Amino acid sequence: MTMLTFAATAASVAFILLLALGDPKRRRAAGLSDGHGRGKRYLYVLGAVLPGLPIALTGDAAMWLIWFGGCAVAGWLTALWLAKPVARVRNGKG
Amino acid sequence: MIHLPKNETKLMVAVHGWSGILLGLVLYAVILTGTAAVFAEEIGIWSAGHVSTNSAFERPIGQTVERLGQQTPSKYHEGVDLFEVGDHELGAFFHRHETNADGTFVSRGIYYQVDRTGRVIDRQAGTGEEVFGPRNDDALSHFLVDTHVRLHIPNPWGLLLTGILGLAMLVAAISGLMIHRHLFKDIFTLRRRANPVLFNRDRHSVAGTWSLPFAFILAFTGSFFSFFGTVGVPIVAMAAFGGDVQALNDTVFGNPGKPDPRPVATSGLDRITSDAIRRTGEIPTFITVENFGRADAKVTTFHPPEEGGVVPISLLYAGADGRFEQVKPLIGAKPSAGGTLAAIMSPLHFGNFAGLLSKAVWFGLGFAMCYVTLTGLRLWVVRRASEARSLGWLDRLVTIVGLGLPFALLCTAAAFFLTASSGQALFWTPAGFLIASAAVILGGFLMRDREKFGLMLEGATGLLLLGLPLLRLFIDGPGWGEAISAGQPIIAAVDCALLLAGGWVIARFASQWTQGQSGQSAVLEAAE
Repeated sequence: MTMLTFAATAASVAFILLLALGDPKRRRAAGLSDGHGRGKRYLYVLGAVLPGLPIALTGDAAMWLIWFGGCAVAGWLTALWLAKPVARVRNGKG
Repeated sequence: MIHLPKNETKLMVAVHGWSGILLGLVLYAVILTGTAAVFAEEIGIWSAGHVSTNSAFERPIGQTVERLGQQTPSKYHEGVDLFEVGDHELGAFFHRHETNADGTFVSRGIYYQVDRTGRVIDRQAGTGEEVFGPRNDDALSHFLVDTHVRLHIPNPWGLLLTGILGLAMLVAAISGLMIHRHLFKDIFTLRRRANPVLFNRDRHSVAGTWSLPFAFILAFTGSFFSFFGTVGVPIVAMAAFGGDVQALNDTVFGNPGKPDPRPVATSGLDRITSDAIRRTGEIPTFITVENFGRADAKVTTFHPPEEGGVVPISLLYAGADGRFEQVKPLIGAKPSAGGTLAAIMSPLHFGNFAGLLSKAVWFGLGFAMCYVTLTGLRLWVVRRASEARSLGWLDRLVTIVGLGLPFALLCTAAAFFLTASSGQALFWTPAGFLIASAAVILGGFLMRDREKFGLMLEGATGLLLLGLPLLRLFIDGPGWGEAISAGQPIIAAVDCALLLAGGWVIARFASQWTQGQSGQSAVLEAAE
């Protein structure tokens, strides 16, 4: 079951990464070319959500929570990683 | 997501901001220590250098407990709590329930700590709160947990405060959800060239959105634990049991049955522990005996959730002969939705339902929530920077607490290591925290350049993270080889985690320092 959870989380994180790479608002803000269209984004969202389904169907609540929590942490880290050049604190001097 | 009218949005923004700013710094302290406390058990093993992995409940304990029972006045046979203490040694608390003169409900009795050979190495008389205090070998993990649970403020005030903080977090999460119009559209947007307000808003909202479902769960379950004993139990006892907390406990958590006070030895403990391990596949975390030494004695074993579940398991046995009676719900004698809901509060809050894997995920989520709290505070300050210059002190305070608290906690660990071998860790662990905190506060208000102060704190934190594993080895803590060969990988794992975190923080520090230096050179060149 742990292997299924790892595989499902890895698959979801891969789709989250694809979503992030092609996210139109992020790309616009970073001065990059246009991002993915709506259809493609919905497809990726589906790809990110679907791996949780087999875990849910097994009724393993513990592994489902690990998948869900793992995706949440990975999504946040992905967003941070793609904005990596930000290194300086920009709050003005104290 | 949710489109509110303009006025209501404004109101929600105010609710969100004020619920955060009024309690934000204390909330940050509770979340940060809670994040570390997810690994409290592992930190306890690592800091004390415990290499044993054989549980006390896997060894025969029946004769030892019977012997302790004979040494204990029978008035304390009303209940016996059995648990692991120290390096998988056995703790036993023979007690009875009493209501103090001030109306507080307490367990009073005799506490024993028994080593592997069955020898009593510690005996104390007092209330549960008195005898379950920190010991020299668990002073560090105890300090972390106590900070998270009640900020070292005496009961019930500490618990009430952390309960209110949990509610404030819940209010902030709900109002945050309502004011964020583009929850999913902004989920990856971190504008690096934006002004300070947008920059901080992005950091706050992105981390907040990703961790939102868990913010609800952790805030709710945290408040539940804080208010359960301080508000919930007294109110229900007053409303339904005429203020008799014992009657409430017997009705809600007890085992109904006809009293039978005939003296019969509680002799089935070893049979019970081995049967409970066989049935659940998990070693008990805790065992209680009701009416020790009587014919109607009942033994309840408490276990972590079975594989695939999040509900902890409890089994009920007859104490006299060790006969299995039933799987016991947390509340009442029969399974119920309320009992299941109450039972999942603990694993959902502590993230301990699937071992290290679930704890690692919960740690990551806790870290995200620390980030949300801190960036939220920073956002509140920078938004008002142009309006009120007098908020400079708050800006400085956010840096002092935000970066100073992790530094002070690491100093606490260093103080523990330096004093544990001389048996003075109980005093020096909190003292180390207070001294480090005082130094940070002083430095924070004396140093003019807040950014430079923050950078120095980051560098010092990185050095401490790298230094703690070395300090642990220096004071004769077990080496990786010794621990792993004894079947205890936790010590090496915690060392590795600290070294990795230290490397990351130092790399961050070095990069920011270099940028700061090149920025200064550019300014000087321009001036020339």
